[in-house]
Amino acid sequence: MSIMDKINNLDRRIIYLLAWIFVLYPLIFPLGLPIPISSDARAWHSYVENNIHDGDTVIFAPMYGTSGMPELFPMTVATMKHILEKDVKFVVLSFWTEGPLVFNALLRQVDPADYGKVYGVDWINLGYIPGSETAMGALATSFQNSVANDYVERRPLSDFPIMENIYTATDIDLIISFETGTPGAPEWLRQWNTAYGVNIIVGCIGVSVPGMIPYVTSGQISALMPGLTVSAEYELLLQKPGLAVAGVDAVSTSHLLIVLLVVIGNIAFFMTKEEEK
Amino acid sequence: MVEMIAAWTAVFFTLGIYSLLYRENPWYRIAESVYLGVAVGYGVSVDLLYIRNQWTGQWNDSAGMMLLFAIVLFIGILWYGRFNKSTFFLYRWPLAIVVGTGIGLALRTVIDAQFLQQIASQVRTPFYVAGNMGATINNILVQIMVPSVLLYFWFTGTARESAPMKVVEKIARYTMMAGFGSAYGYTVLTRYSLFIGRSQFLLGIPPNDPENQLAFWIIAFIMLASMIGWDMTHKKAPVA
Repeated sequence: MSIMDKINNLDRRIIYLLAWIFVLYPLIFPLGLPIPISSDARAWHSYVENNIHDGDTVIFAPMYGTSGMPELFPMTVATMKHILEKDVKFVVLSFWTEGPLVFNALLRQVDPADYGKVYGVDWINLGYIPGSETAMGALATSFQNSVANDYVERRPLSDFPIMENIYTATDIDLIISFETGTPGAPEWLRQWNTAYGVNIIVGCIGVSVPGMIPYVTSGQISALMPGLTVSAEYELLLQKPGLAVAGVDAVSTSHLLIVLLVVIGNIAFFMTKEEEK
Repeated sequence: MVEMIAAWTAVFFTLGIYSLLYRENPWYRIAESVYLGVAVGYGVSVDLLYIRNQWTGQWNDSAGMMLLFAIVLFIGILWYGRFNKSTFFLYRWPLAIVVGTGIGLALRTVIDAQFLQQIASQVRTPFYVAGNMGATINNILVQIMVPSVLLYFWFTGTARESAPMKVVEKIARYTMMAGFGSAYGYTVLTRYSLFIGRSQFLLGIPPNDPENQLAFWIIAFIMLASMIGWDMTHKKAPVA
């Protein structure tokens, strides 16, 4: 068997082993590769910085579960830190069952009280709202009818000063949605953006990016945070390096491995084909 | 102590799932079953919590609302008719309500949100952007490639045999290949991002618990040793 045949029939576990090595090595011994700032990161940073004004009310929606945390959690934390520095009120909610767990994990790293935000006055957590797109539509028409109690203190929404001015989608200025799938941006667009004109910015996993780009181009999504690498760039723009920056070396080395394997695999495939002829 | 048990348990289940990379094995089976069980159990519990909150929060205010709540609850229970052949037909009622409501609600705005606004965006895209050659080339490509793909799926029959359509078809095929390539690239990015996130957890990189790293090396060694040891003693050829 020639070396090319061996490459063509390589045990998949050797590839997995290489993947482990190419990811673990830069995490244990950081390489400090340069991180150029992309236009996506600048657009997101600029939008949060300049388009969220004092007194605005924002929906902060972690629309993903624990499986999406490795890619989306760093950008969720960084964006939360950014909006906490502003004089805005925010409503935390999720149409994904594990969304509240994700936000609890966030609270272990970022405490709104450290930024002078008071629960019930400056922010509120409505937790998980079941019903997917139907629930999104219902929430847009009435917060009070769609959610009986808040998630943290289990008290009626009427008990909280922040809810005195929030009844329907028209009382919301922006949705910040971090998401891995359905319900997500298309549902927000249908039920909140098109119907009520609420602006939306979306942080998503890489797989979803090609599907999101048309909405960004059309202006329906005001800014997009596509994946872990851009999260790292955003953390640098905020001057608050976190998990994304720590992982970006591993992103580079692992992608290098994929490119090498694709090139070697193609060379082996075509050379074997030539030999067969 | 509680934190330590939590860290070791999380590391065990993470590595249990990854042990599938070596081969199918009992560690993986345990982790998979527990993960699915916990995920389903959690989902059911938060749904029930929502129902309870709705009841105590607003539905028990009047006799009319209590009756409505009972009807809604009854329709919800009909979902479980699916698990028995004799009651399967009952499951179709809640399904019809949910699908009908969902479609009705989406149709209200889908034409505008995902059809008209995309067409308007395409029409607004300028061929020439002053002082930006990259954007100009990009826009020209968009104006050629998007209509080509649409035409590829629109015309069938004799119109497809015409000479101009052959050119359009070729452009459309290359466009779609570029699109699929982009989707694949982003998929690789996502999969690796997930892997990197779990690796950061396993290595205890802050803000993860530093205790994780010790658990990682010990549990990984035990799992690998048990699987490789089993393969060696049973002389079972590894699955390629």
